Amino acid sequence: MNTSTKIVTTLVVLLSTSLAFAQDEDIGEKDELKIAALEALIMVPPEQALPRVRKILEGNSSDDVKESALFILSQMDLPEAQTLLVETARTSEGALQEEAIQMIGVGGDPAALSALKGMYEVGDIDIRQAVLEALMIAHDVDAVMEIAMAAEAEAEFEAAVEMLAVMDATEELRSLRDRPGMSGALIEAFIISDDAETLREFALDGSNKERQLEAIEALGIVDGDQAGATLMSIYQGTDDEEIRGAVLDGMLIADYDDGILELYRASSDPTEKTELLEYLTMMDSEALWEIIDAALEGED
Amino acid sequence: MNDEKLTLYYYNDGLSRDERQQVVNMLASEQDVAKRYQSICRQLDSLAEVEVATAPPDMVERWHESINRAARAAVVVSPKPVLHTWSFIWGAAITAALAIGIGIGIYVSGDNASEVIVPNTLVTSSRNSNAFVRGLQVHLRESEQGLSATPFNSTADRTLLIMSIIEQNRLFERVAQQNDSDGLARVLRSFELVLVRLAADDISAQEAAELQTKLLFELNVVLTKLARDTSDESQTI
Repeated sequence: MNTSTKIVTTLVVLLSTSLAFAQDEDIGEKDELKIAALEALIMVPPEQALPRVRKILEGNSSDDVKESALFILSQMDLPEAQTLLVETARTSEGALQEEAIQMIGVGGDPAALSALKGMYEVGDIDIRQAVLEALMIAHDVDAVMEIAMAAEAEAEFEAAVEMLAVMDATEELRSLRDRPGMSGALIEAFIISDDAETLREFALDGSNKERQLEAIEALGIVDGDQAGATLMSIYQGTDDEEIRGAVLDGMLIADYDDGILELYRASSDPTEKTELLEYLTMMDSEALWEIIDAALEGED
Repeated sequence: MNDEKLTLYYYNDGLSRDERQQVVNMLASEQDVAKRYQSICRQLDSLAEVEVATAPPDMVERWHESINRAARAAVVVSPKPVLHTWSFIWGAAITAALAIGIGIGIYVSGDNASEVIVPNTLVTSSRNSNAFVRGLQVHLRESEQGLSATPFNSTADRTLLIMSIIEQNRLFERVAQQNDSDGLARVLRSFELVLVRLAADDISAQEAAELQTKLLFELNVVLTKLARDTSDESQTI
């Protein structure tokens, strides 16, 4: 008896034993046994493992057991395994369906991945999210881009561009930058993808104030110390209170207390100085005590 | 005497008694073999002796502040936080913080804690490809052990542990993708989704337990598959 045959024999015994336990053993124990048997299936030839996984998926096992079976399927290099994943994704419901969809992404089979498009079109919000996650796992940038371009509702667009950002699809995201009414979703995507260059352009572009305000704060998140010079130039180049407030928030986020200190020292407006001091206090700046002492002594 | 045999000797794995004795003899008689073996030991020790460094409290506090600031600046509130990609911003933030703050990686050199070996360089030859697989096995095994050993009610410890696992996971995912190991890269991405959910503040103990069980199962399967592939059982899945 060779090793594979021994393993298969052991598995058959394990699976049979788990069925025999059904009537008088705790469900948790039964599930544990089935899951252990499924884990061992990774060691046997896929042609022998597949019918057993199919039996689990078509039977009355718990969702936990079936989800484990789906992961085993995703690890099989057999077209029939990927077909079974698609079948399960189409015919199951709820969490099991979402898991089957994700496992299609883990499997990465092109034919199975192409079936996700139809599921996305007819699916609810959870199914659509599961499809996006599967495409992210499979790193299928084109498919996610297609969804983003076809999206009409802001929430749908947002979910797709965020996934593009997670996938570091910088060029694809930049090609969507002028999509009207979607600046919030795009700014967030540029934050996730760490695209300081595009955010800097938005932050300096006064033609769309809402987008500019969001981009200024976002710049502080992604660009850290590098954001300092840009934020300083925006602050010094405007009298707009909203924009100045966004710049200070950006500096706070970037922990750029040197910039705020410089603005404090350059300012002769008591109201502005008070506001800048508040920011330095929030940032727990090292220069704070020096400034407070100077202010108390009546110096600049 | 090739490096692969020396590596197997190091791991006390895969060599017959005669082969081991042959290695012992060679090490005693051949100076260049002994030198190569020492070098391999140093490299493998650095993989095996990985410890997740505990970050100083003030650094942890600064991360939390940074994360809170980032959260305040968030434009969109997630309707489904455990799945929402905002979690990935959080992930990116901690990744950056970890990259700066502590050498948590498997590839931290044993000789110099600040020197991180770039993972891509580890897979440019079959020997290094083996090192990559070994490293990945260590990562998966330690993830499994770490998650099993950390109680659900120890939120801060769990968060730090998961942060470090995510960071390492991303390194391996990148290396796998760059080296056409697409299957591994996909599995590692799916692990990250589960890890991000596990790290969510609003997760219940029961949900965390279920996710952890799922993740441990998948880690085990991948470890088994890697071990199987390493031992070249060509007729299996």
